[in-house]
Amino acid sequence: MPPILEARNLSRHLGEGLTRVHALRNVSLKIEQGKTYSIVGHSGSGKSTLLYLLGLLDRAESGSIKLAGQATENLHDDERTELRNRFLGFVFQFHFLIKEFSVLDNVMIPMRKLGIKSPKAMKETGMSLLDSVGLADKALRMGNQLSGGEQQRVAIARALANDPQVVLADEPTGNLDRKNADRVFELLSNISRERGNAFVMVSHNMELAERCDVVMPMQDGRFLPVES
Amino acid sequence: MLMSFSGIVFGVGFFIVTQAQTSGFQDFFIKTILGVDGMIRVEDRFQSTMRSMEAESGSNFQILLESNVRYIPGVQFPERLMATIQRFPGVVAAAPVVRGSGMLNANFRAHSCRPYGIDAEKHFQVSDLEEQIIRGSIEAFKANPYAVLVGERMAQRLSIHPGDSVLIESHKQNRSYRVAGVFETGIGQVDKERIFLHMPAARILLDRPNGASFIQINLEDPTKAPEVAERMQASLSHAATSWQWRERTWLQVFKVLRISSALTVSSIILIAGLGMFNTLAMIVIDKTREIAILRSIGYTRADIIKIFMYQGLIVLSVGILGGATFAAIITYSLSRLPIRIRGIFASDTFIVNWDIAHYLWAAAIATIVVGIASYFPARKAARLEPGVVIRSSGS
Repeated sequence: MPPILEARNLSRHLGEGLTRVHALRNVSLKIEQGKTYSIVGHSGSGKSTLLYLLGLLDRAESGSIKLAGQATENLHDDERTELRNRFLGFVFQFHFLIKEFSVLDNVMIPMRKLGIKSPKAMKETGMSLLDSVGLADKALRMGNQLSGGEQQRVAIARALANDPQVVLADEPTGNLDRKNADRVFELLSNISRERGNAFVMVSHNMELAERCDVVMPMQDGRFLPVES
Repeated sequence: MLMSFSGIVFGVGFFIVTQAQTSGFQDFFIKTILGVDGMIRVEDRFQSTMRSMEAESGSNFQILLESNVRYIPGVQFPERLMATIQRFPGVVAAAPVVRGSGMLNANFRAHSCRPYGIDAEKHFQVSDLEEQIIRGSIEAFKANPYAVLVGERMAQRLSIHPGDSVLIESHKQNRSYRVAGVFETGIGQVDKERIFLHMPAARILLDRPNGASFIQINLEDPTKAPEVAERMQASLSHAATSWQWRERTWLQVFKVLRISSALTVSSIILIAGLGMFNTLAMIVIDKTREIAILRSIGYTRADIIKIFMYQGLIVLSVGILGGATFAAIITYSLSRLPIRIRGIFASDTFIVNWDIAHYLWAAAIATIVVGIASYFPARKAARLEPGVVIRSSGS
């Protein structure tokens, strides 16, 4: 099966002048559907930079990224945005829920943009996703009426709304206590396995990272060889 | 946002109200002056005098030059001229007037006056004199060949009432007339000195056995008066002036007032727009992360612009609706406000003009201001790079 997401020789500098650093140095990787990946490393190792490039939220200075077989480096911003909507789901360290919207409305935001489903179908999908993260009973609450762990679970439901091929998570448990962190990670990895999505997580948490199918340690903008 | 909304409501409302007032007064002024002096006045005959000059020094070839225009006061053959005037398209009626000056004596007091000799039936077709009678009756005037109609101010100063006898002195003769009615045009100068006599009586008093001072003309469409007057002047060899030219000073005053009030009141909308700009700019700063997450989820830059423009559209729509309702209530209330106005027209209430164009103009100005105020913050929001915002939020 061809990789759903493939990066070749990605390079990226961050900062300007004296603070300019070489964040990524010719990094290549392949992400396959149905597998879970963790990218680990210290701060400044380039793991988040790589994740943002893979998520088409940033552009590499050199190298290429293919998403669902489509080269992305020369695409217009609107085309990259459309690819994000169709193929990618994001979970960040902070939930970034829109507090003026209900929990259900927050989950329905990506579906509204994709515009494939009817309002009724969107609502049903949203409720089903909230059910899978254990928050169906709180669907009509406002985003800011939930605990931190619950808000992150809503963010997971939102990331899965358009049934993405790849879920990218940047420190998804970084802002949670151990119990909630475990629960969120289990949710993400289980749902991804069930749905056959690829799950790529950037994390400091080695304990969680090692529960993924593939662990990719990074240092100084490069992948380190993995000890078998 | 509430302040911006209030600004739009009041800006739109006051814009409509001021336009309703100024255009109301202007329209009423125009109605008054048309009812008094008609739409076109054809008076003094003119003759172009020609002179010639040599084409070249010592040459026998002469070039004719129009050097000057000589005016001969009044209309020599009014009936003939009126017959020609009636053939101009758009002319409804024409009436001759003989005008002079004199002194009116009543109750041991004297007052200078301007006698106007009219052919009653014809004159009523080119003026609103019939409707301007406030005391006495037009029938009494028609019935008596030596009847006179006196302006309200003059009647007040000389304590004249319908049925009184007055002496009018002009051209070294004193003649007695019966006051048939008192008229009020609202134009101070007219009500103070103008009096109306029957044409034959006026001819005797003013020692003018034939001709007329001018011909007053009414048209189907008052707005066509300048072009019709121009055509008449060109073909009749008589000076023809439209009401727009005759009253240009007052019309200019009304125009300046309307523009001035529109500009002043538009500043409220402008300030509301600035408030809205500030509010939306603050929202962009406050909602940076939400905008970034929407962008990461798949919302394009155009989508982000739309979201902010929709916010502006909602404020604009409700603001215009609220402003229009507010304006309609205030305009109606003003139209009921008792206020005695005399001088350039006569009215006992505030005069307003209900015109959909005022509402459309107010809406257009508000749309432009709110559109600009919404667009720039929206564009700023759309330019946010989601990766940069999310990365900085996490660090």
